[in-house]
Amino acid sequence: MLSAALPTTGAFVREHLRAPLTLALLVAIPTFFVLIFASVLGDFAKALGGTLMSRSATAISAGWAAAFLAGTLAFFQVSSSRGADRRLSAAGLGPWRVASARIAASLAIGTAVSAVAFGTLWLRSGIGHPLHAAVAILSFAVIYIGLGALIGAFVKGALEGSLLVLLLFSLDAFTSPEMTSSGAFAWTPTRSAAELLIAAGGGQASPAADWLGMAVVAVGALSVALAAFWTAARTRS
Amino acid sequence: MTALARTRVATAMAFRDQLRRPLVLILIVVIPAYVITKSIAQTLATPRRIGLPDGVFVTTTMKELHGAGMGGVVVAFVAALLGVFVMQSALDGDRRLVIAGFRPGETVLARLLVLLSGTALVVGVAALVTALNFSAASWVPLLAALMLLGLIYAAIGALAGALLDRLAATYLMLFLVMTDLGVVQTPMFHVTPGRFAALLPGYGPSRVMYDGAFSQGFHAGPELLLSLGWTAVLAIAVGIVLRRTVGDTGAA
Repeated sequence: MLSAALPTTGAFVREHLRAPLTLALLVAIPTFFVLIFASVLGDFAKALGGTLMSRSATAISAGWAAAFLAGTLAFFQVSSSRGADRRLSAAGLGPWRVASARIAASLAIGTAVSAVAFGTLWLRSGIGHPLHAAVAILSFAVIYIGLGALIGAFVKGALEGSLLVLLLFSLDAFTSPEMTSSGAFAWTPTRSAAELLIAAGGGQASPAADWLGMAVVAVGALSVALAAFWTAARTRS
Repeated sequence: MTALARTRVATAMAFRDQLRRPLVLILIVVIPAYVITKSIAQTLATPRRIGLPDGVFVTTTMKELHGAGMGGVVVAFVAALLGVFVMQSALDGDRRLVIAGFRPGETVLARLLVLLSGTALVVGVAALVTALNFSAASWVPLLAALMLLGLIYAAIGALAGALLDRLAATYLMLFLVMTDLGVVQTPMFHVTPGRFAALLPGYGPSRVMYDGAFSQGFHAGPELLLSLGWTAVLAIAVGIVLRRTVGDTGAA
């Protein structure tokens, strides 16, 4: 299974990166996102009644950059590749191998984007707990891969899908921990990852509950993504 | 079939193409309603001094600033994505219409009408939701600024949709709107926009928008002219690019 899925994964990655501008944006956006938003997110949090300090704000901007890019990518992976994936599946690769290759391609690009965001964050302001921050940023990407793929499984149109990713992103931005004094809607999928990233940015360790919460949501998101990719690749008799 | 009849058919088909997807209409209503209402409700009334055009300074609050500005940010986001994907639909389908005997200009006009209608709809929803949560000093400039922001970003989105693949175009639009309107132009983070802010497309309409929101007199004449200039240049560019792209049917 692995020998068939690996070349397919490489092909799926190349499919998205063959446009040089897409590759450039995948490097440039997390870099500029961290650099530009880091300086204003602390003020934004204060305006919303939150307590986010500037070093933590820098950290959370890296998570959002990874989330936004990975979620959009996963949505387009499912929605625009459905026909091709069904043909690949029918041609003998099977839906599981197609889905595994798709998820591996999403994770490869998500990891690369997270690495750029992490590197920018480290160079800009330093990180108290680099390993914690790296895991949390990657979790943002993984969670949004699940959300983007889930939207792609149900929504075919590129416009409505990208608008839904935007809506989810807005929900997250306004309910992120420390960004708001309102506890009315205190849970979003990236909440534990955000808690962990904020703590790591400020040089503090996180309680086990945050690690567990983040792991559960990330594994759940990967399962959802796998199911979405499998559903998209499944041939209908 | 006359040119008018062909244009009417192309326009009806272009609108039908959009109306087949009711989720788009739902999201055009839900996204501005949620984002504007939530942002205003959640922001504290912390005092904030800001600079308006023509050297006027006023003291307002962060909450009021979200009321004044969030409509523009949402309009630009949605209009930019509309631009990208209306253009992509045109590239997918309209070449076939041209091969079937339609003139490129007729199909281009149809797509531009769809884009204009979508932009007007999101501006209408954003204005209504803003009005429910915020009292502007002068509504006419604020509404004009929302429409100009929508048109400018719809045109930029359309150009991105024509020149880039859909993923790159989406990334570029979301990042550009977030940076231009969400950070560079907003008085939440700078008393007046920075030195290079005027180079970005959101500068003119943003200044008109905040002037209308907080001042009963109109001080943003040059900024309004700048916005109209951006709109005109971008509209011409979209017309040319779309006409050339749709007209290129690959025939030797």
